[in-house]
Amino acid sequence: MEQIKNDIVDYLKANSFMDNSSSLTDNDSLTQNGIIDSIGLLELMDYICEKYSIEIPEDMLTPENFDSLQGITNMITRLAK
Amino acid sequence: MSKLVCKKCILDSDIPGIQINEENGLCHFCETYTPLTQQEKNEYLAKIEKLFEQYGGKGNYDVIYALSGGKDSSYTLYKLKKDYPFLKILAVQFDNGFTSENAIMNAKKMCMITGCDYFQLTMKEEILLDTFRKAAESYDAFPKFAKYRASDICNVCITIIKQKLIEQAILQKAPFIVFAFTAGQSPNPIINLSVNFIQWSRNLFDKQLQKIGIDDKDELFLLKKEVLENIGENAPSILHPLCLWDYSENKVLETLLEIGWEPPGINDSNSTNCTLNSFACYNHMEKYGFHPYAFDVAGLVRSGEMPREEGFEKINQELSQPLIEEAASRLKLNIKNPQKLSVKV
Repeated sequence: MEQIKNDIVDYLKANSFMDNSSSLTDNDSLTQNGIIDSIGLLELMDYICEKYSIEIPEDMLTPENFDSLQGITNMITRLAK
Repeated sequence: MSKLVCKKCILDSDIPGIQINEENGLCHFCETYTPLTQQEKNEYLAKIEKLFEQYGGKGNYDVIYALSGGKDSSYTLYKLKKDYPFLKILAVQFDNGFTSENAIMNAKKMCMITGCDYFQLTMKEEILLDTFRKAAESYDAFPKFAKYRASDICNVCITIIKQKLIEQAILQKAPFIVFAFTAGQSPNPIINLSVNFIQWSRNLFDKQLQKIGIDDKDELFLLKKEVLENIGENAPSILHPLCLWDYSENKVLETLLEIGWEPPGINDSNSTNCTLNSFACYNHMEKYGFHPYAFDVAGLVRSGEMPREEGFEKINQELSQPLIEEAASRLKLNIKNPQKLSVKV
């Protein structure tokens, strides 16, 4: 679980969604903290699908699953099983 | 530390968040860049053709098209209709109050040439001016990455267009929305929307509007909730065919001039349709210290669609002072540092 969170944060930093000096807690909102918007969300989805070789069903594209490190990690864990 | 400039594109270490690897001289975007191969592009184009065949011919239109009247969107409409003559297209032009007369004329002309229907979306001038004034005065209303893609003013404008094009697609039962984004502007050629995503995007834009002080209770800018509730089974897909075609600004202009598109009378190196663009660039550089087209142009240079020297030239070109002053006057905003009109990146 921690590895997935680190991967996501590394991706967000490497692609300038957030500063290297910034940090995120597990339940911080990515949208409300100004890290991603709808376009950023699409790019993050592409990264997750490729990195974890998963397909994200349309009905899973919700704030609960995608707006925090914890939500994303839970979703990836469920889909990668 | 002195400024480092990426060896491949035009980004430099003075732009917030950009790091240049001192060992290989590349920015992190160039380091991780993997362009679509010609085979992948062909596969995407074949997929798009198949989608047109599979889902076309069922609604009032097959495609809702974002037509600004500028060169890229005019060219893409022309080539789209040339490559897929069976498509029934509704071209939507958003007149944001700063759309040049030439762009409106070109948009209508392109629709006549291609046999597409034309629809002009606009709002009361005072509402548009108030909205762009608030966007100009806002700071950090959009995420960091959005600021790399465009100015705050352009981000508001393009998001209104996206919201209203999705609304049109639902109303017209059109399965596709097409934008003329280059590879530098959008790396994804096909975006399959879902109801959840559309709903979430709408809520995000609503919050961004509230951040800049706009309460869009009449849903002038937002996708109307009532329309979204009637979306039916299939959400539209967004297509970006221009990022799959060979792109050269000269080739695009040459083709357009041949068919009767008229060059713009406005002196703006980054827009051939919007007289607010120079002010939007000036405003962005004032607020954030870098050119809002830097990433767009860097993307074109990175993908080989624009020579690096041309990219530097484009970004360092002086902004049009008359356009900036005219827009500032209409928005009732002061230009704080006129000497910074030609900020260099």
